[in-house]
Amino acid sequence: MFTPLLDTLIFFVLTTPLMGLVGGRIKHEKRIVEVYVISALIFSLVLIPLFYSEVLKEGSTLIVGWGSPQPEGAFLEIDTLSIFMAVIYLTIGLMASIFSTREFEREDTTGYYTILLGMIAAMIGIVFSGDLFTLFIFWEAMCICSYALVAFKRERWESIEASYKYLIMSSAGSITMLFAFSFLYGLTGTLNISYLSVGLARTEGNPIMLVVLIMLLIGFGLQAGMFPFHTWLPDAHMAAPSSVSAVLSGVMVKVGAYGLIKVLLTIFAPMYESWRVTLAVFAVSTMFVGNLSALLQDDVKRLLAFSTIANTGYILLGIATGSQRALTGSLFHVMNHAVVKALLFLCAGAFIHKTGTRSLKELAGIRRSMPITGTLFIIGTLSLASIPALNLFWSEISIITAGLEAGMPIFSLLMVVNLVFSAVYCLRMIQTLAVKKETPTSKKAEEASLPMLIPILALGLLSILIGVYPSPFQTFAEEAAKAALKQ
Amino acid sequence: MLPLSYYMACSVILFLIGLYCLIFKRNMIRLLMALEIMMNAVNLNFIVLSSYVVEGSVHPLAHVFAILSIGIGGCIIALGLVITLYAYRHYGTLDVRELRRLKH
Repeated sequence: MFTPLLDTLIFFVLTTPLMGLVGGRIKHEKRIVEVYVISALIFSLVLIPLFYSEVLKEGSTLIVGWGSPQPEGAFLEIDTLSIFMAVIYLTIGLMASIFSTREFEREDTTGYYTILLGMIAAMIGIVFSGDLFTLFIFWEAMCICSYALVAFKRERWESIEASYKYLIMSSAGSITMLFAFSFLYGLTGTLNISYLSVGLARTEGNPIMLVVLIMLLIGFGLQAGMFPFHTWLPDAHMAAPSSVSAVLSGVMVKVGAYGLIKVLLTIFAPMYESWRVTLAVFAVSTMFVGNLSALLQDDVKRLLAFSTIANTGYILLGIATGSQRALTGSLFHVMNHAVVKALLFLCAGAFIHKTGTRSLKELAGIRRSMPITGTLFIIGTLSLASIPALNLFWSEISIITAGLEAGMPIFSLLMVVNLVFSAVYCLRMIQTLAVKKETPTSKKAEEASLPMLIPILALGLLSILIGVYPSPFQTFAEEAAKAALKQ
Repeated sequence: MLPLSYYMACSVILFLIGLYCLIFKRNMIRLLMALEIMMNAVNLNFIVLSSYVVEGSVHPLAHVFAILSIGIGGCIIALGLVITLYAYRHYGTLDVRELRRLKH
């Protein structure tokens, strides 16, 4: 019905509870569901190159429609950008699900895996959708899954509080977005993303367009963690289980950025001058809020969450610059940040699993008792501090240089200032975890088990690989950027 | 037939009522009701605009959208009520101002 990839994923989502039921009968529910979900993700990841060659065969976009004919009907539109995002989602989702096999003590994890897989499927649906109708359906599916995942440790008050806050804010955001969609529909008579920009060129100068633009910025920006709508993000990332934080921070926040790319660079491309500076100002304030708040944190997951906000700022600045080079930088940053942040959250999850605390003070000196996890955490932190030869450096430098080329030197300068701030808290984190004397808590910790180490090692190696040899990944990001700009 | 602007004004007012409720009310269930009001405002807007986009007929896409978004709204509210239930068990109150422990 949809595309092979999405069909496969939806099939696996629907059959996971059945596997849990079958597994429950033979007393191995947890293991069977874990193996099933992990193999489902590996299978989908293997399917991607085959599917991508099919897309390339069709020209650069594959269109799968059903229902009423174009431009009114709902349909999927798959291009290189969609594939680029889908690869990231599946990789991070796979790593998080391998990690979470050891994270939970309790037995009833079937629901967790179903929702996690459902969330990944919904995110892929978002990047595959060709009209705002399909996008909204998958968007809400993703949001509902993520509320449930944040509240997964329901016996703890902080998960419930964070999830409630997130639910109210994010739903309000998506409803605002939907309101904007209804106006777009009223103005043009279609929800097809490609037709909308043509239809909107006729209505230029209509004051409603500005309102619609603001509403869309609120809706997508809220999900991306843009200032001033970022307040749900640190709470949700802190209270969620660590593997879920890795998915939320590494991937889901980027769906908001993807939505902004689609909406601003495709639909509102003719109005470029009117949103460019606004978005750049929001981007820079997002960076400052994220980095300055991160400086003050003691909770390791909260610190990483604030750094996610700052990184969203970098991505948004790339979108605001709007040239092909800047967008390449942005998309490359989406990939690099997903890898590094997932790595850091999973390492933090391993620390928390072994020590039971999130406080950096308590975790001091943990590298001596958990050498592998500690070392990889330091690699991730160094990458976050934009040290050359690690991956985040390359994408940040391309966003900055593209900003200079496009005549936005002030914003590029402010981003460099922010990179210095981020280096400060990264170095503080390294000093605390690796140099300081051990506390009784961190002395007791022992090295994480193998299923926890596999995703951490894989992500760490990937981060070094992209850092040392960035060109194939950058080329892929460039292809995706070209597809986004329709060049 | 009433002109379009009446209906649109109605849906904008509904949306603003929901937003007001979301900002100023303290009861957790009322916040969910505010979300529902906003959702209904959007659905109304869709349906109204659909009958004006194509002259003389009602476009089915908007109706499909409205039905699906009512369903999605139901899901969100159901999940919200579950979370509210757990929050009530943890905090012993439905006052949303009590949910501020994470800031400390």
